[in-house]
Amino acid sequence: MKKLVAVLVGVLLSAGLVFASGTTESGASAAKKGGYRLFMNPKFTGLAYFEVCANGAKEAAAELGDTFVYTGSEQADVQLQVQSLQNIIAQKPDAIIVSAIDLNAVAPPLRQAMAQGIKVVSYDADTATDARDFFVNQMSYEGAARTMLDCALLDAPQGGEIAFIAASPTSPNHMAHIRIMTELTKTDPKYQVFKPVATQFAADDEAKSIEVAVNLMQAYPNLKVIISSSAVSAPAAARAIETIGKVGKVFATGVALPSSIKSYLKDGSQKAFFIWDPAMLGYLSVYAAHAALDGSLKKAEGATFSAGKLKEFTVGKDGEIVYGRPLIFTPENIDQYNF
Amino acid sequence: MRTEKPGSIRERISQNALQFRVVSVFFSFVVLFALFAFSSKNFLNVQNVKVIAFNASLLIIVASGEAFVVLTRNLDVSVGSIIGLTGYLIAKTAAAHLFGGVELILMALLIGAILGALNGLAVAYGRVPSIVATLGTLSIYRGITYIIGHGIEVPSGALPRWMIRGADATVLGVPFVVIIAVFIVALLTYLLRNVPLFRRIYAVGSSPAAAVSYGLRSNRVVLLAYIMCGTLVGLAGFLYASRVGTITVNLGRDWEMMALAAVVLGGVSTMGGSGNLVGVLFGAMILSTIDNGLVLAGAPEFWRMFIQGSAIVAAITVDALIERRIRSVFSHRKA
Amino acid sequence: MKQFVRRYRWELFIVAMLAIAVIWSSGLSPFYLDAQQLLYSSRNFVFTGIMAMGLMMIIVTGEMDLSLPSILAVCTVVLAKFSSWNIPLALALPAIVVVGSLLGLLNGVLVTRLKLPSLAVTLGTMGAYRGLAFIIGSEVGYTSFNGQYLWLGASNIGKSAIPTMLVVYLFCAAVFVALAHFTTFGRRCFAVGNNAVAVRYSGGNVELIKTAAYVIGGITAALGAWVFVGQFGSARGDNANGVILGVITAVVLGGVDINGGKGTVGGVLLSILFLWTLRNGMGLANIAGPVEQLIIGLFLVISVVISNLPEMEIVRRIRVRRERVVSAPDKLR
Repeated sequence: MKKLVAVLVGVLLSAGLVFASGTTESGASAAKKGGYRLFMNPKFTGLAYFEVCANGAKEAAAELGDTFVYTGSEQADVQLQVQSLQNIIAQKPDAIIVSAIDLNAVAPPLRQAMAQGIKVVSYDADTATDARDFFVNQMSYEGAARTMLDCALLDAPQGGEIAFIAASPTSPNHMAHIRIMTELTKTDPKYQVFKPVATQFAADDEAKSIEVAVNLMQAYPNLKVIISSSAVSAPAAARAIETIGKVGKVFATGVALPSSIKSYLKDGSQKAFFIWDPAMLGYLSVYAAHAALDGSLKKAEGATFSAGKLKEFTVGKDGEIVYGRPLIFTPENIDQYNF
Repeated sequence: MRTEKPGSIRERISQNALQFRVVSVFFSFVVLFALFAFSSKNFLNVQNVKVIAFNASLLIIVASGEAFVVLTRNLDVSVGSIIGLTGYLIAKTAAAHLFGGVELILMALLIGAILGALNGLAVAYGRVPSIVATLGTLSIYRGITYIIGHGIEVPSGALPRWMIRGADATVLGVPFVVIIAVFIVALLTYLLRNVPLFRRIYAVGSSPAAAVSYGLRSNRVVLLAYIMCGTLVGLAGFLYASRVGTITVNLGRDWEMMALAAVVLGGVSTMGGSGNLVGVLFGAMILSTIDNGLVLAGAPEFWRMFIQGSAIVAAITVDALIERRIRSVFSHRKA
Repeated sequence: MKQFVRRYRWELFIVAMLAIAVIWSSGLSPFYLDAQQLLYSSRNFVFTGIMAMGLMMIIVTGEMDLSLPSILAVCTVVLAKFSSWNIPLALALPAIVVVGSLLGLLNGVLVTRLKLPSLAVTLGTMGAYRGLAFIIGSEVGYTSFNGQYLWLGASNIGKSAIPTMLVVYLFCAAVFVALAHFTTFGRRCFAVGNNAVAVRYSGGNVELIKTAAYVIGGITAALGAWVFVGQFGSARGDNANGVILGVITAVVLGGVDINGGKGTVGGVLLSILFLWTLRNGMGLANIAGPVEQLIIGLFLVISVVISNLPEMEIVRRIRVRRERVVSAPDKLR
């Protein structure tokens, strides 16, 4: 009986092997001789935003003749990201491109990677400064903060109460945005019409974001705008406004992929969202990694490198490379974008 | 449970002891409500109550399904993955505009029923302990969702408008989903109390051995319970997809814990055989009230977990103490 | 020999599966069979493995505990607090052992004294303890630790590639093997899981045994916290969130009967090894998480179904029919 079991399960596992190889992430099939091996590890793979980043990255890798593997956990879980980073390191890549869920938790494996000579480039969400060579930031934190407030102004030019939804207290970019936005509403005359009243966390989860947004609107009846740095929470907030019937009274804005807020812009319930082109962010980070590997990118403030069709970029303080090209979506221009 | 002389006062009271549980859940709910009403001026108004009910409605449906299984002294921890798989399949199909409304809903029910049936087969006929079986199917169903989805999400814009509108619709000011949830609880409570096929669920749960010697095919009853659970959760998956709009492959994650919490809070015994769905409804309402109340009171979000967890422990304790007291008062037998 | 095989059926089964898994993982990825890689990735199962041993004792007595990872989270934030107050590790460690024991004790009291159903109650304490961890750790948690706190989780033995935590894990395993199979206490745990009433009538204190199991569980969570802190350098309320299902999988796959009374520590250790081998191999081949989970889930269900085949009705009917055919000639007598 036991022999039968062992054989059966062996068959199952072999079947699993065949089956699983078919669903392995892209890298294996894109293997090219020569060129560097680049691994991209997003916060989690379940998010369209990161998929789009990966598409741009794949494009860049193809242009450069590098091998590209996109892999990570499908949940936004710190321990799982650490594990997937360890698995990546064990495969001896030339460079790791990573977006960190928690800037400190992923630092130990990344430091170890750097000690082994692997180049580490963070993108979208930074890690501890000493755990990576470069950080490709989509927008300077201040730039993003200003753009979001500008969008809020488009929604509610007369100002009012605003609330923030972030992923978690340890997401560096979200928290930086909120901090700067709050400051700006006090110091910059253009934004003084706004009064921040609350910050809530929704862990990049749609259902949670909707619940949080609904409860926020209940708690603050005069709320005017809900601003969200998370590409999951911004469309969810728009949905919540629609659900609770406050279209036109409350607005949602922040970071969102055009495909997820297209319908809200078209039916007039929302007015403005923004993002940077995630594909180009991915594209840029691959070029940065490649340039770091072949030595054309030095880790010094003011160093420049060429990033394919994006032309030249300059390194800022602490190895930060700012992509800095925001796109604001309005009902007028939303049709131009298809990602 | 001792059988009393039919018609005696003692018998009627011990019958109603079960109902008493519901009363105690309702009582906890009211107390909680009052507490929050004090802590925030925005809490106690009709609109907010509607919001709480709205947020609770999906959980009520899922928890009702879970209750069916728990009543048979089993568990189903795969409900989150059933929501995910059903919701995702529905979203994809709806976005492709292949079917109309009724077909989509039936499809959701069918998918849920099949997934639930697989659970039931493993537990009842495969003799796999329910935690193990549903732990396994939790991973299996989630994995399937992922493979079908390739990690891609279905944006809300792609869903047909009637789905989105339906999820938000209100009837006479009451959210439609709340009406659905209440209706389901009422219908199922009636079924559980009056239809013999469903009453057997109680029998199997309170004493599987006795049920078997009584001639009940407990396998079939357990299978039925799992199918009911799957069907209800499938419906919830459909509603969830309509509510959330943007569907990702992570839809419904961790719902099993919430469903269990609502079931337990609602006075359904994990030993099987006792409890009713009205209690579960209030259990879900309690959880939703806590979430809402905390945001309104401006309390940091992490107090939520502590309060919910403590509420569960408190509810079970009170529940057990009351039940024991009643039993000791009305039982002639000494231990 | 035959006795041995019959008694340890499940464990031998897992050994066979382990061998197949090793072969499969090596086939999946060329990076798998590397001593350094193996040692390094072994760190991934240490803290869950330690908790699995604690959970096993609780399940053996016929109860359940969903709150162990939450106890771990409380202990990590308490450690972080001590670290920030510059308290030496030698004092902080006993402190979290006490904390873990107390939380385990509370579980035990709720289950044995108040006679509450353990699944439901620990569902509640799971949330309550985690909330407690958040309250102590605040939303942000801690990330900077005194070096000595990180030692266990971060270091290796001398200059080798053997992680210190692996040695601690093996030591723990040895302790549990002794505890469960060679002490009176261990035997009583199994007895309670098998037939608590009989134990009570023969003078044993069922409540004490069950409570002790819960306290031991709490201590394993505290130990896991010490490992966790060094491994991840982070102490936050959501540490080890969602890990409980994986721990239960490890215990059940190890042949421990979910209703209590049966199982071996060896089986649990083997199943942890097995799960780790699968995960490691699949991870190195960049197989997506859900697919990994799916394969493990399939394995879990199918293996239990297959091992139950002899008892299933259908199989029994086939066997009866077969026996009837074979013994037909006897009826003629």
